[in-house]
Amino acid sequence: MTGAQAWPSLSFLLEGFRLTIWLTFLCAACSLPLGAVVGIARSTPVLALRAAGTAYVEFFRNVPPLILLFFFYFGLPGVGVTVEGFTCGVIALTLYTAAFVAESVRAGIAAVDRGQVEAARSLGFGYLGALRYVVFPQAVAMVLPALGNITIGIVKNTALVATIGVADLMHQGEVLESRTFATFSTFTTVALFYLALIIPMSLGVNALDRRRRRMA
Amino acid sequence: MDFSARLAPLLDADILRFLAGGLGLTLAVALGTIVLSLLGGTVLAIGRLSSFRPVSLAAAGYIETIRSLPSFLVLIYVYFAVYRAALDLGTLGAVVLGLTVYHSAKTAEVVRAGIQSIDRGQVEAARSLGLGFMQTLWSIVLPQAFRRMLPPLVSELILCIKNTSIGSIVGLNELLRRGTIVYQQYFNPIETLALIALVYWGLCFGLSVLARRLEATGAQQAERARLATQEI
Repeated sequence: MTGAQAWPSLSFLLEGFRLTIWLTFLCAACSLPLGAVVGIARSTPVLALRAAGTAYVEFFRNVPPLILLFFFYFGLPGVGVTVEGFTCGVIALTLYTAAFVAESVRAGIAAVDRGQVEAARSLGFGYLGALRYVVFPQAVAMVLPALGNITIGIVKNTALVATIGVADLMHQGEVLESRTFATFSTFTTVALFYLALIIPMSLGVNALDRRRRRMA
Repeated sequence: MDFSARLAPLLDADILRFLAGGLGLTLAVALGTIVLSLLGGTVLAIGRLSSFRPVSLAAAGYIETIRSLPSFLVLIYVYFAVYRAALDLGTLGAVVLGLTVYHSAKTAEVVRAGIQSIDRGQVEAARSLGLGFMQTLWSIVLPQAFRRMLPPLVSELILCIKNTSIGSIVGLNELLRRGTIVYQQYFNPIETLALIALVYWGLCFGLSVLARRLEATGAQQAERARLATQEI
């Protein structure tokens, strides 16, 4: 690739990069609340909620995300439901990721001292009130670095949507490679884009983790 | 097409044997990858802990770079590199190599944590008994570290099994690819993909139960570790 050709290629990859960021944002925005709900369900004394939460977590984190993606993209049309590739990506990655978010939230809730709950209850908080104002905020603060790592995982997993033709960074890289045959320069540039996104996130997570350790 | 006609192929002995062959390949790739990654990861971990700066920087650079990339990208990159270098590894070899490049970086961190969890006094005692550096590492530190590394290694194997499904994209005839061949023939994607998802689930769930049993003794440490990191 000469310098003059390189610029259109970079803007081509940049389009994919923007879609990767947008997809990551949507998946995080959906999987964090869903995972929090499932994690809370697993922490309640209500047996049915706990069973449902456990079933959710144990199913979705033990299935390859690529299969979930294929299930929605190739499977649903088999019964007459067609879902756009991008939407399939959001749904599949959200379902997968929420299982890990739920595990972290559950671990965080379990790590909050029982005395906190007892103190809140004796101050007149109901069960939900104690959860909402006392336990959950502390649990989230504790697992914030873990949630950061999960978000990094989302970025990495979004690359899978390239397999169903969604024009993300990985897909744009594959298209560019097949047009130019500049295999190494193309995929190295794609890798640099991913690093440009993930390394700052990792540094942020490390900073959060150090802060958490100081507080603990 | 009605439901029973879509389900019938999945009860056919030949088709089930075809899919079982894919499962065998999936298992072989995952096990081969995790064994090679343990070797590669141990070398990388020792490199990262080395007091010789150029070695520790190179190892840390490799680990942090690869860990920050999608496994799919690493696999495709290695796959093309093998093809361009005209190495005759076949699809199977290229996929195992690609997954090993990725999982070595992650296994290295497991090994490093294992080595660092061993009390320094153990090393000092071994050295004062006259053991060399390598001998101390090999016969004192690593055997003890390995026992602590087992639960996270099983978790890494689960992740590796999930990642083998990406091999189907480059034409490896593993479980998912054989599943797509079946449903393209019989037009039953939902049923076939559901069956395949269940097979992967059984494998990974079984292993996750094993991992939890292995860490039962240090359950509290494990819980604390889960707060810090969870590989997805």
